[in-house]
Amino acid sequence: MFERYHIPIKMVEGRAKPVPKFVIVRADNCVNCGKCEKACIYGAHKRSEEDPRKMADPQNQLCKNCFRCVSECPQRALTMSPGPEYRLLGKGIWTPLMISTIWGESETGKIPVFGAGYRGMFAGPGFDGMWTDMSEIVRPTRDGIHGREFISTSVDLGSKPAFLEFDKDGRVASDDAHALLELPIPFVMDISRLRILHGNMMSGYLHAAKHLNTLLMASPALVPHDLPDDERTRLVPVYPESTDVGTLELPRGVRIAEIQLTPRWREDVRKFKERFPGTVLALRMNAGGEVDRLLPDLVDAKVDVAHLVFDEQGSEHMEDKRHSKDSLRAAHKSLVSRKIRDQITIITGGGIAAAEHVPKSILCGADAVALEKALLIALECRDCPSCSKESCPINLHEAPVEWVEGRVLNMVGAWRDQLLEVLGAMGLREVRRLRGELGRAIFYEDVEMEAFGELKGGELDG
Amino acid sequence: MSWTAEPKRACPADLPEQALVPSDQLRFINRFTVVRADACISCGLCASLCPYGVHKRIEGHGKILSPDDRSCIGPACSVNYFFCVANCPTRSLSVKTSDTYLSMGDPRWTSDMILATWAQAETGRPLPLDHPGNTGASGGGFDKLFFKVPETEVEFSPSEICTSLDLNRRKTGTKVRIPIPIYGGGMSFGSVSVHTMLSRAKAAKSWNTFTCTGEGGYPELLVPYKDHVITQIATGLFGVREETIQRARIVEFKYAQGAKPGLGGHLLHDKNTPEVARMREAVPYTSLFSPFPFHSVYSVEDHKKHLDWAYSINPGAILSVKVSTPNDVEMVSVGSYYAGAHIVHLDGGYGGTGAAPEIAKKNIAMPIEYAIPKVHKFLVNEGIRDEVTLIASGGLRTAMDVAKTIALGADGAVIGTADLVALGCVRCGNCESGRGCPRGIATTDPMLDKLIDSDWGAKRISNLYGAWRLQWCELLARFEMDDISQLRGRMDLLRRADKPAKEVGK
Repeated sequence: MFERYHIPIKMVEGRAKPVPKFVIVRADNCVNCGKCEKACIYGAHKRSEEDPRKMADPQNQLCKNCFRCVSECPQRALTMSPGPEYRLLGKGIWTPLMISTIWGESETGKIPVFGAGYRGMFAGPGFDGMWTDMSEIVRPTRDGIHGREFISTSVDLGSKPAFLEFDKDGRVASDDAHALLELPIPFVMDISRLRILHGNMMSGYLHAAKHLNTLLMASPALVPHDLPDDERTRLVPVYPESTDVGTLELPRGVRIAEIQLTPRWREDVRKFKERFPGTVLALRMNAGGEVDRLLPDLVDAKVDVAHLVFDEQGSEHMEDKRHSKDSLRAAHKSLVSRKIRDQITIITGGGIAAAEHVPKSILCGADAVALEKALLIALECRDCPSCSKESCPINLHEAPVEWVEGRVLNMVGAWRDQLLEVLGAMGLREVRRLRGELGRAIFYEDVEMEAFGELKGGELDG
Repeated sequence: MSWTAEPKRACPADLPEQALVPSDQLRFINRFTVVRADACISCGLCASLCPYGVHKRIEGHGKILSPDDRSCIGPACSVNYFFCVANCPTRSLSVKTSDTYLSMGDPRWTSDMILATWAQAETGRPLPLDHPGNTGASGGGFDKLFFKVPETEVEFSPSEICTSLDLNRRKTGTKVRIPIPIYGGGMSFGSVSVHTMLSRAKAAKSWNTFTCTGEGGYPELLVPYKDHVITQIATGLFGVREETIQRARIVEFKYAQGAKPGLGGHLLHDKNTPEVARMREAVPYTSLFSPFPFHSVYSVEDHKKHLDWAYSINPGAILSVKVSTPNDVEMVSVGSYYAGAHIVHLDGGYGGTGAAPEIAKKNIAMPIEYAIPKVHKFLVNEGIRDEVTLIASGGLRTAMDVAKTIALGADGAVIGTADLVALGCVRCGNCESGRGCPRGIATTDPMLDKLIDSDWGAKRISNLYGAWRLQWCELLARFEMDDISQLRGRMDLLRRADKPAKEVGK
């Protein structure tokens, strides 16, 4: 029977002390009149429990920045300033807003919905330099997550035959060269590059991958031996460069394995295909101009999945440091121009810091997205400059397995719903049709030139 | 283009007077904080020096009053001989940027812009053309476009400058002219309180322009202002009945909204109070997500039937079609025109909302700045530009944004958030859930909505419109124009830069 794919979400409260966006300071001239208590509809101001004659310290995490207490204090004893700890969260594309948004999504599992219009910068580098298209009318497919129409988020990992071949009896000729794996969501979880990973986190991530019916990429050294079968089939062992594919033993039940791109990759791929014919082979590589030229060769060698890796800001590791937005477009186009796009799957990883980066990556040419650092942020990680078990402000090593699982399910649930909203707005019924659909993307440099190219008095920069 | 051939349009007469409408709530949120240390001996020298009235000492009182931060012009004053900080004998005065100023606002609505909008709503006085509150800090779009304003100041009489907008530019049908090139955008009952709607309707009446019901039905209290209220028909069809279409001079079809293009309206459960639910014929305290798109419109032919239907119910109505800004926005606009729309209303991606997914606000559909020249040029090439009233909205915050919109090729603009800021909105963005707006604007909470008095609100909005009109007059006078329609499509008057050529001290 048909079952609609569903991600179970529930409230999973944070374990750590909240990081307030705004800090209210009560000056000494406060006369404890209690007007702020009446003014605040969020309950940030309360009388002290020990001494009801006095006002307690403001509950900054409840403050929503409406300034009512500030403007109604007869003594003008209240001031509000941006939270110092909040402002210092993260760096680069991992802005305080991105981080706190993931915290919220992982807590509630819901799409962030707020009042008032967009409040950020007009455009920016990387994914901030593009918008997705929508359509006003057409096709009764819509209503997004609130509608009855089903929008598919399934993707395939592996190569697809361009056409079916039949034998002389009219039966479909079996083709073992095409190892294919279908995932119900365009996300895989990649914990092989996380800067910190404790035992409970590993189990929590694995349980989440099982629930989500997706894959968990991890170093085989970290995988416990006594895993039940239904969890082991969720694993993608990521083998290091030094691996000898000729003697490699894949754990039982594994359906997809990943090796690194090395100078001897052709030999490795040939051996892998020989030894593990039904297993999907993914090749992990640092994205770059070299890769655009190499991809057709990978297709020839029957590599199933190319896993392009970017740094945590979403830039290439070397060469011209293109952003994944541009890098993916180049890789996608190099395959499309040779009419071999469907013979390989592209997974992108690195620099995926928000739900919006998923549809944007796919628009630019990726088939699926690997979640990496976002999986850490979902557990309330503060992205401190230096990281160790002892100094961890949130005691990540004590996080219970179910809590880790719940937070990840919530985040992925919220991200999938947001993907559905974007697909719905575009009038697309499945995420496969979003891939590389560049005509439905709006790029800053194009529209800026089209609209204002004729204007004098400023060069068209960023 | 054809406007040169048209006879000179009459200047608007009987415009409302400006009046001082202060707000008790907002007077403590200011740009600067003047700090008086304990060392002050209340000598009163500062009071006698300051020409702005920051320091005041009441005769017979031993102690000087605490400083009135609102009037202080800040460190820019340090060039003056009367600078209180430099002259204080006990050195107990200092001036700093207020903490509140630093924690308010965002790149699109900067603190300066919010404070400047409040000041205009309070006094009705226009901003100088080079005031920092005219532009935001978002680094693109309107915030990167500046008028090449001739430097020499000119004498002008506002009564001789025409800022009117014709809402039906076709050869046939009802003609409506409003004296300013803006009218109010749709805000539903439920997303905002009935007092907010009334404030906007009263202001629209005093300026002989329009405001819009939004999609949440037509509250009875608005009926006395029906000549200035647009009936909106949106995908949810809440409270749309024959009589609400028949009583309106303008009927607006909302296909999409800029803040959430491709998604229906959102009203989260808390705000769907019994009164709102009755109006929307829905179950109280359930979340109401409108469908998308109109499930009766899947083609441009369906769209024409849709307009014909409204036209048959109210043959005298002006029909407006509100669409968002996809890649093919110019085709949508042309289609709307041929289907019979008088007004093509483009709502850009950065527009306001009472509740929308953050991902939609930022990422779906292009900003309005790109859509206007695209559609304008296309309509010109199609030879129908002078038959269409092209209206833009979505992230237009100030009078200068409206002027830039017109220079990019629109005829006029629709205003939403600026109306609310005039009522005291601080842009905290908590309109969507719980009891709604803590300042009583975007709420349906029976206690909170009492915070706004509609007469007071109407005067604030009216003041803002008046201040804007005076600013447009000055801009037009500088360019030696006497009609705002002469500005339309004059992209050559704009330059693209990071900053205006000259900016007054911040």
